[in-house]
Amino acid sequence: MYRVWLLFDPRRTLVALFTFLFVLALLIHFILLSTDRFNWLEGPHPAKTGQIEQTMPSSFA
Amino acid sequence: MANDMDRSSLSGLTEAEAKEFHALFIKSFIAFTVIAIIAHILVWNWRPWIPGPKGYALLDGVHTAVHGLLPLVS
Repeated sequence: MYRVWLLFDPRRTLVALFTFLFVLALLIHFILLSTDRFNWLEGPHPAKTGQIEQTMPSSFA
Repeated sequence: MANDMDRSSLSGLTEAEAKEFHALFIKSFIAFTVIAIIAHILVWNWRPWIPGPKGYALLDGVHTAVHGLLPLVS
C-alpha cells in the first residue's frame, strides 16, 4: 500500500487532499446552516406568516 | 536496491521514504477518522439526521431516536 507514494507525489497529494476536505467541510456546514433542523446558530425559524394568515380567517368564520 | 534505481520512481521518493511517509499518513488518517466519529456521535445525540417513518417529531430525545432507528435496522 505504501507504494502509492512512489506513484503520487506526497506534497501534491496532501495539498489536493486538504483542499478537497476543506471545500467539502465548508459545503456541508453551509448546507446544514441553510436547514431549519440543523442550524446551530439561529435554530428553527418560526412558522411562515402565510400559514397564519390562512388559518386565522377560518377560525373566525 | 541502489540509490539511482530508487530515485527512478514517478514521485521521486525512495522505498524507505515512501514507507516513512505512509506510516505518518496512516496515523494522521486514523486520528482524523476518530475525531470525525466523535463529532458525528455528538451531533447524532444533539439531533439525529435520519427521520423516523413519521418524520423528526418523534425523534427528539435519545431514547425515541433509538426506537425510531430500530425498524430500519431490523
